[in-house]
Amino acid sequence: MKFGKRLKQQIQETLPAWRDKFLTYKELKKLVRLISSAPPASLEYGKAEAEFLYLLNNEIDKFNTFFMEKEEDFIIKHKELQQRIKRVIDTWGPNGSRPSEAEYKDEMAKVRKHIVNFHGEMVLLENYSNINYTGLAKILKKYDKRTGGLLRLPFIQKVLQQPFFTTDLVSKLVKECENTIDEVFPAEEEERTKERREAITIEGKGIFRNTVAALLTMQEIRRSSSTYDHFSLPPLNLPDSDLIHSFHLTSPIPIP
Amino acid sequence: MEARPALSIQRSGARQLSDLGMSGGLSSSLPALSAHLEETYPKLPDTQQLSAERELRTRPLVHATHAPTNSGVVGHIFSSSSGFSSELHYSSAPPCEKHSRNAPFISQLPTNAAALPLPQSSNSALPQSTISSNYKKENRGSWCTDPGFLECPISSPVQSSQVESSSCCGIMTSEDFSKRNDWQEWADQLITDDEALASNWNELLVDNNVTDLEPKVAYQVAKPCTTMPAQKPQAHQQLPSPSVESPSVVNASSSANNAPAKPRMRWTPELHEAFVEAVNQLGGSEKATPKGVLKIMKVEGLTIYHVKSHLQKYRTARYRPESSEGSSEKKLTPIDDISSLDLKTGAGITEALQLQMEVQKRLHEQLEIQRSLQLQIEENGRYLQMMFEKQKSGLDKLKVYPENPPAPSSHATKESSAKSELEASQMDHANSGTDTINANSMLERSSREMGGEQKANETGDLEKAETCISESTSQPSKRPRIEE
Repeated sequence: MKFGKRLKQQIQETLPAWRDKFLTYKELKKLVRLISSAPPASLEYGKAEAEFLYLLNNEIDKFNTFFMEKEEDFIIKHKELQQRIKRVIDTWGPNGSRPSEAEYKDEMAKVRKHIVNFHGEMVLLENYSNINYTGLAKILKKYDKRTGGLLRLPFIQKVLQQPFFTTDLVSKLVKECENTIDEVFPAEEEERTKERREAITIEGKGIFRNTVAALLTMQEIRRSSSTYDHFSLPPLNLPDSDLIHSFHLTSPIPIP
Repeated sequence: MEARPALSIQRSGARQLSDLGMSGGLSSSLPALSAHLEETYPKLPDTQQLSAERELRTRPLVHATHAPTNSGVVGHIFSSSSGFSSELHYSSAPPCEKHSRNAPFISQLPTNAAALPLPQSSNSALPQSTISSNYKKENRGSWCTDPGFLECPISSPVQSSQVESSSCCGIMTSEDFSKRNDWQEWADQLITDDEALASNWNELLVDNNVTDLEPKVAYQVAKPCTTMPAQKPQAHQQLPSPSVESPSVVNASSSANNAPAKPRMRWTPELHEAFVEAVNQLGGSEKATPKGVLKIMKVEGLTIYHVKSHLQKYRTARYRPESSEGSSEKKLTPIDDISSLDLKTGAGITEALQLQMEVQKRLHEQLEIQRSLQLQIEENGRYLQMMFEKQKSGLDKLKVYPENPPAPSSHATKESSAKSELEASQMDHANSGTDTINANSMLERSSREMGGEQKANETGDLEKAETCISESTSQPSKRPRIEE
C-alpha cells in the first residue's frame, strides 16, 4: 500500500482543483483483489474484470482531458506573458516610449511573480502526468501478477502514447519559461539567496509548496520497494536533497 | 416521429451495449415533449422540475435534426465548454455547484460506457449493474463529493428531487439498466454548472441554436477504444487488451474500430499563433467571432466549437489575467508560501522567487529523467519480448542464440560496473542493466505461462534457452534484489 499512501499524500498536497483528477488507485486495487479472489471463468470474475478495464479506460480518459485542457491554457498564457513582458519593456523600459524606472520595476516584479507561478504550475502538471503513469504501471503489474494475465505490456504501450503522457510540449514551454526568467531576473541577487536557506516554513497551498511536496514524494516512491524489479525505477538521487528537506511543510488541511 | 429511429441508431452506435429497449420507452413521450419544446425553448426554467423536463426535451431535438453518424466531423475535439452552455442554461440550478471543470469531464461519460470491453455474451447484462454503479461513482465523484447517487449531499430538498427526477426520471428500480444509463448520461451532461459560460449564452442563442446542439451528438459517440473480442473463457485468461487510442493531432482521423472517434482537440503553439493572427485580423478578441476566426484560419479538422472554447479561454487570459492565474484558484504567491520574515522584504521577494524557481527547476529535471527512464524500461521490455517471441517460434535458432543478438551479451559486461554505480547514475542502470535482467524476467514469465498451456518438451526447450542466456552473462540468472 506504499504507493497508495504516497499517492494519497500527493493528492492532499496538490492544488485543490486538481484533487479529483488523479488516479483512483485504491479503487483499482480493490478490483484486482476482487478479480483474483473470484473463481476463474465465473460470472463474478468476468464482472470484476470488466469493471476493472472499464475503470482503467475511464481514468485514462480523465487524465487526457484534464491534461489537454491545462495544456491549452498554458499555451495561451505563455504567449500572453511574453507579450506582456514585451509591452513592459517597450513602454517603461530604458528605450521605451515612456521610460520610467519605477514603473518598470513595479511591473517587472509582478511579471516575475506570474512567470514563476506559471512555471511552477506547468511543472506540477508534468508531475501529475508522471505520477498517474506510475500508478497505472503499478496497478497493471499487480493485475498481471494476481491474475496471471498479460495485460500490462500491451496496455502500457498504449498509455505511453496517450496525450497525458506525451508531455513534450509542456516541457518545451517550461524550458522557454526558464529562459525568459533568466532574462527577467536581476543576476546579482543570486549569491544572497544561497545564504538564506535556514528554517523556511512553507505554508498554504501554493505552487511552491506543491513542488516541494512533489519532489519529496517522488523520492519516497522511488525508495526501495518490496517488489523492486527490472521494470522499476532506481532510487532518486536528488542533488539538492538537503535544501529540499530543509523546507518544513506545515500540514495541509485534511480532506474530509 | 423521425426522432425515434435516429435516436435508437445513435444510441446503439454510441454504445456497444445494446440498449434499444430504451427507444421504445422514449418514443411515447416524444410527441408531448416536442410540443412543449416550441413554447419554452428559449426561456430559462424557473423550477427544477421544468428543467428536468427540458433536459429530456433537448435530446429529441438533437436527434431529430442530426444524422446518426457524423464521423466526418473530426478526430478529436474536445471543446465541451461552449457546446455545453446552451444546455447548462436549461438546468438553472445544478445540485452540486462544484467544479467549473465538470463540463469537460462529464461530457465524456456517456461515451465511456462504450469503452467497456465486454465480450458480447450473457455477461453483458449483469456487469452493467456494477458498471453503471461504478459509472455513476465516477460521475458523482466529480460533482458530488460522495459516490453513489442517492447519497449525493444536496442541500435543499428541491435539489434532491431534481437529482432524482433528472437523473433517472425518478424511476430507479424497475426499469432496464440500459434505460437508466441513458437518462443518466443525458442528465449528467446537463446537470453541470459553469459560470464562466454565462456570457456565451446570448451569443449562442443568436448564432445557431440547433447547430450548437447538433454536433454535441457527435461528441457523444463512443471514444476510440477498441476492444479486441475477448477469447472465450475456457481458460479464464481472457485477453481483452483495450486500446486506449486517442489521436493527438489536429487532423481528423477516425479510429480503426466501428465507433467514430471521440472528438478531442490538442492545441499547439503554432495553431494558437494562427488563431491569434485571425483574431487580430478581425479586430481583437472582443470583436472576433468564432465563425470568422474559423474561416480565416482554414485549418482542416478544426470546428467552430474548438474555436469557441479557445476564444473564451483567450479572452479570459487577456482581460482578467489575475483570475486566470493559477487556474481559477486563489492567487498563489510565493510570499504567502514562505513565512520567513527575511524573505518578505522587498529584495527578499525576488529571492523568494528565485528559491521557488530553484525547486521547480529541480522537479522538472527529475521528472524528465524519470519519464525517459520509464520510456526506456518499457522499450527494453518490448524489444526483448519481441525477440523472445521470435525465438520461441524458431526453436532451432536456440544454438545460435548467445552470439546472435548483440544486445544482451554486450550489455552483460557493462552490467557489473553499472550495478555498483547504481545510486550515482540512473541512466546507466536503465541502459545496460535492465536488458539482460529483463531477458531473464521475460523468460521466467513466459515459462510460467507456457508451462500451463504447452507441452512438456517445449518447456524443456525453454529451460535450455534460459540456461543459454545465463551462460552468456556474467551474472547469475536469478532476479536480483537490490538492497538499499
